[in-house]
Amino acid sequence: MKLPILPLLLAAATIPLLTSCNAPAPKQPTQSAAVRGGSDGKSVKAAEGDLNEYRAVSVADPLEPINRATFWINDGLYTVVLRPLTKGYEFVIPKPVRTGIHNVFENVRFPVRFVNDTLQGNFKRAGYETGKFFVNTIAGVGGIGRPSDHIPALADVPEGDTGQTFAKWGIGHGIYIVLPVLGPSSLRDTVGIAGDYVLNPVNWVSFVYGGYAWTIAIPSTNSLRVTHEQLGVYDSASKSSLDKYLAIRSAYIQHRQEVAKK
Amino acid sequence: MNPRLLFLAALILLHGSASASTAEAEKRLQTAVNEVLAAADAAPSRGVLLEYLNPILQRHMSFDAMTRRAVGPGWRQFTDDQKKKSTQLFATLIIRTYSSKFTPGEHPVIKFNPASAPAPGRVEVPTTLQYQGSHYSVTYRLEEAEGWRVTDVVIEGVSLVANYRAQFDEQFKKGGAGAVVGALSQSVDHQK
Repeated sequence: MKLPILPLLLAAATIPLLTSCNAPAPKQPTQSAAVRGGSDGKSVKAAEGDLNEYRAVSVADPLEPINRATFWINDGLYTVVLRPLTKGYEFVIPKPVRTGIHNVFENVRFPVRFVNDTLQGNFKRAGYETGKFFVNTIAGVGGIGRPSDHIPALADVPEGDTGQTFAKWGIGHGIYIVLPVLGPSSLRDTVGIAGDYVLNPVNWVSFVYGGYAWTIAIPSTNSLRVTHEQLGVYDSASKSSLDKYLAIRSAYIQHRQEVAKK
Repeated sequence: MNPRLLFLAALILLHGSASASTAEAEKRLQTAVNEVLAAADAAPSRGVLLEYLNPILQRHMSFDAMTRRAVGPGWRQFTDDQKKKSTQLFATLIIRTYSSKFTPGEHPVIKFNPASAPAPGRVEVPTTLQYQGSHYSVTYRLEEAEGWRVTDVVIEGVSLVANYRAQFDEQFKKGGAGAVVGALSQSVDHQK
């Protein structure tokens, strides 16, 4: 499923990255905002002095009409194709096996996290990732189990990705882009996805043994697994919204902001 | 008394009162969470769960502050009636969404991490939530009004209030307070 998107991603990667990349940073409520707001901090009912507590999270979206169209096509695709597919996946494969598959793919994705932690200069975290990889590969039998969860230092290592590395290097989102099938992204994070794709061994089999059916099967299982997880998040973010498109856009930008801080 | 000592004493006192209020806020949040979990256990179905959760969330969350901040400066142009209506609708929307997340019988595991006080009268409590095999980071923002109340929930970096701020803004630009109230009641109807 991811295969036809690669040329598109690589094409996007050739777009000059830094032109008009100065998206205004989303404003998070800060302590100073709280004080500036005129609220005495004692009363939640303070007479409307806190109206600027939150600014609308903003990102440049000059492609909004195209993005909205892609968004609705994706939305339809999720409902008509992907949801039944992932339901089938859920139905056919019992939960313990799904968890095992999930763990194996996450474990194999180790180079994505390791390389990016290193590129970010975060050698301590790269070390934790290496430890986690060896513990899970050896004690977890090829990564099916996650014994690292029982080791406090390795239980909650924030995950590195290429978009995050760009963010740490000070590169802004550029513009907001809704990718076909893959969903919300930005110029920066689209290039990031291409980086993650190349760093993920799951996709290497396609290059090494091109032409065999199973080289498509492995990345497809991976996509199905990821989709299964993401649909849950997508549903809860969009269900109660006034404008699904804006809700998802805001959630995406806020979430990536948080990831960049980790 | 030595002025330096006096300063030190004041510092210790201040620190003491700050951590006391942090502890109070944490206690309030834990009470709220326990009440919610007990309700989720007691409710035989989702429909009933909503009825159980409504008074609990109304008691522990400040929907006044949440609605006002989600609307932003445009709030000043709302009539009293529109303010009341939009607060009610927003509360309904949030409570319904929240209740729909629970599957009766399935318990999330919640770990409370050390709280911080970003400003006087404000406390943030980071938690880790484990539910149906996934981990989520959930931070609760609390403020002191008549006792401590939850004013925002931040899931994986996504603030509930900030997320609605983006949407209300667009509605307000389109048609002022009327459009915001209209869109809210449409969403609430749609949810049924």
